[in-house]
Amino acid sequence: MLRVAILGCGKIADAHASQIQRIRGCEIVGVCDREELMARQLYERFRVRQYFNDLNKMLKVARPDVVHITTPPQSHYALARECLSRGCHVYVEKPFAISFNEAQDLIDFAGKKGLKVTVGHDDQFRPATRRMRELVRCGFLGKRVVHMESYYCYELGGSGYANALLSDKNHWVRQLPGGLLHNIISHGIARISEFLTTEDPCVHAVGFISPALKNRGENVLKDELRVIITEECGTTACFTFSSQMRPSLHQFRIYGSRNGLLLDQDSETLIRLRGERRKSYLEHFVTPLTLARQYAENSLTNVRLFLANDFHMKEGMKYLIQSFYYSIDEDAPLPIPYREILLTARIMDRIFEQTNATGSAGIAHRITRPLSLETPCLPN
Amino acid sequence: MSISDASGTRRGVKKKDLIITPDDKILVTGAAGFIGNKVVEVLIQYGFHNLRCFIRPSGNRARLDRILDSLPWIRSLEIMEGNLLSEQDCMAATRDVAVIYHLAAARGEKSFPDAFMNSVVTTRNLLKSTLENRALKRFVNVSSFSVYSNTRKRGMRLDESCPLEPHPELRGDAYCFAKVKQEAVVTEYSRQHGIPCVTFRPGFVFGPGNEGITGRVGISGFGVFLHLGGSNQIPFTYVDNCAEAIVLGGLRRGVDGETFNVVDDDLPTSRRFLAMYKKNVCRFKSLYVPHAVSYLLCYLWEKYSSWSEGQLPPVYNRKNWHAYWKRTRYTNEKLKNMLGWQPRVPADVAFDNYFGSCRLKRKNA
Repeated sequence: MLRVAILGCGKIADAHASQIQRIRGCEIVGVCDREELMARQLYERFRVRQYFNDLNKMLKVARPDVVHITTPPQSHYALARECLSRGCHVYVEKPFAISFNEAQDLIDFAGKKGLKVTVGHDDQFRPATRRMRELVRCGFLGKRVVHMESYYCYELGGSGYANALLSDKNHWVRQLPGGLLHNIISHGIARISEFLTTEDPCVHAVGFISPALKNRGENVLKDELRVIITEECGTTACFTFSSQMRPSLHQFRIYGSRNGLLLDQDSETLIRLRGERRKSYLEHFVTPLTLARQYAENSLTNVRLFLANDFHMKEGMKYLIQSFYYSIDEDAPLPIPYREILLTARIMDRIFEQTNATGSAGIAHRITRPLSLETPCLPN
Repeated sequence: MSISDASGTRRGVKKKDLIITPDDKILVTGAAGFIGNKVVEVLIQYGFHNLRCFIRPSGNRARLDRILDSLPWIRSLEIMEGNLLSEQDCMAATRDVAVIYHLAAARGEKSFPDAFMNSVVTTRNLLKSTLENRALKRFVNVSSFSVYSNTRKRGMRLDESCPLEPHPELRGDAYCFAKVKQEAVVTEYSRQHGIPCVTFRPGFVFGPGNEGITGRVGISGFGVFLHLGGSNQIPFTYVDNCAEAIVLGGLRRGVDGETFNVVDDDLPTSRRFLAMYKKNVCRFKSLYVPHAVSYLLCYLWEKYSSWSEGQLPPVYNRKNWHAYWKRTRYTNEKLKNMLGWQPRVPADVAFDNYFGSCRLKRKNA
């Protein structure tokens, strides 16, 4: 029986506890939070064995094999290192660490200790994403990946989170090097990292504060980000984060030399995009029908998964946790290669170097309005 | 001397019945909130001007500012921005106060940890900060009807002696969980440290500023409004009436340790309320679900949620059905007998105001 502990008893810890309890062969032996009341509420609701408000005590008394770190990102590095030094494998919520250097150090340290670490990029293991990975592995895209587009948006709106974040100038999200972006974008960047081949791609980033946020008096937190990533081999990628665009997309498009794939996380659909064109009008008549058929198939797959009880909101998290535990138990490969964790951290470092170097308006103030927008061209 | 409201109506509370004088400092947390700003208004009408209004930095100050603007002669009203999760902010807020009206809460929060943190941890911080405050004469805790389990016989009268939910974690309702635990923290501090506390459990507080239809009437989101309340009485309390009850609870002598339910007189049934709403605000399709059917649906949802290990969250279950949709009667006798409370706004005027506000909100949407 694998002994598991959760460190940090906030919102995301609930998801961890409920998914861990769905996995056979493991048990939550302790939960810990500096605020004892928070630890106690998780302990009561999930009927965990013990709760603690001190990490050392938990490691000593509960003796976990794996610790899930679900605290604010600033504390990930120190806490993960402490757990590793005490012989525990570590699952760290995203973002893995504050910087590439911290991420590298943690991975090296885990290697030295003969332990394993992973990061909570659970969106990468949702059912449609796993189908996409399988198709790519089977060569559906062709010989190489040509281009990727990753959209990872977040509706700030008038949510409690937004209010707390905007009103509290000491909010922990504000203390992150990349602010709001730092706390959210790693899911979308990791999608790209998975298919990049070089270790240090070229990154061009523009970040700015949306007019909507400015109207609410915000002049520090950037909530819009556009990124272009290029590799020497010619593979390129675009990443978009927006708090304002609607629909608020969570999509990934990947185009190879032969075909493409469109993954929509919100509708949990995967669409195969044919590389070859049909002749003449057939492209207009047949293609919509084949797309409709694919959407119908996706819908049926989702219903089938739901009926089989494999379609939980956090199904990806369960899959990732289970794969991580399996990797520990059987010494199997990790579900997320260290290379991918490091590449994600490096790209994020590059993004924040650039977004922090520009003013609150990003480079938007340098772009002039194209004439075509002022006087739209009408067809003759 | 007895205290009078702004209209000069004597509220029947004599000076000797009060635990504080008008010069004593009063703290109102959540003062920018729906009930909070009414509490401030009522306190001012009662002649208590030495107020510290504690609000979140994100709180909407507009209503408080309106009160201040309308009463320029009041100079002792202080608005303090802060976060009750900060112990320093709590210390600053509670310094030298004689009465605390604790209304700040996590309203509408669906996440259990967030609701808990913003209701329970904040309340504990506030109580902890009062321990060295010798001037404190009363801590008024505002809870909710949702804390009752209401598993007794159908049609029973729900009063303050009814049992609380023993397993709020199984209700699938973050607000209920947080409020039960908040009351437990208040009780613990009151017992251990002798803090004089009074607890209020309002029913559904309605009025301009809270235009939603309570879930006790029914739920939308399934394509059609499911009317679940039927002939149940709905425990409405108009915001002004509720605020007045809370204010009296902080001032009256001899009610330490007491709990009060807050509901108005002349409560309409769910069916009547829905008919009035459709007539006065807007027409929409609703489907009446008889109690036996809603109970069965809650039972099935609960079982499926459990079997599927939460594939559908356990938001509908038998515990919730008992608490929200079972036929129950309500009473405000204790409130009237011990605090001398009477609804200051009669039901017909209250509903007129509410429907007017609903119409305005729809027009501006």
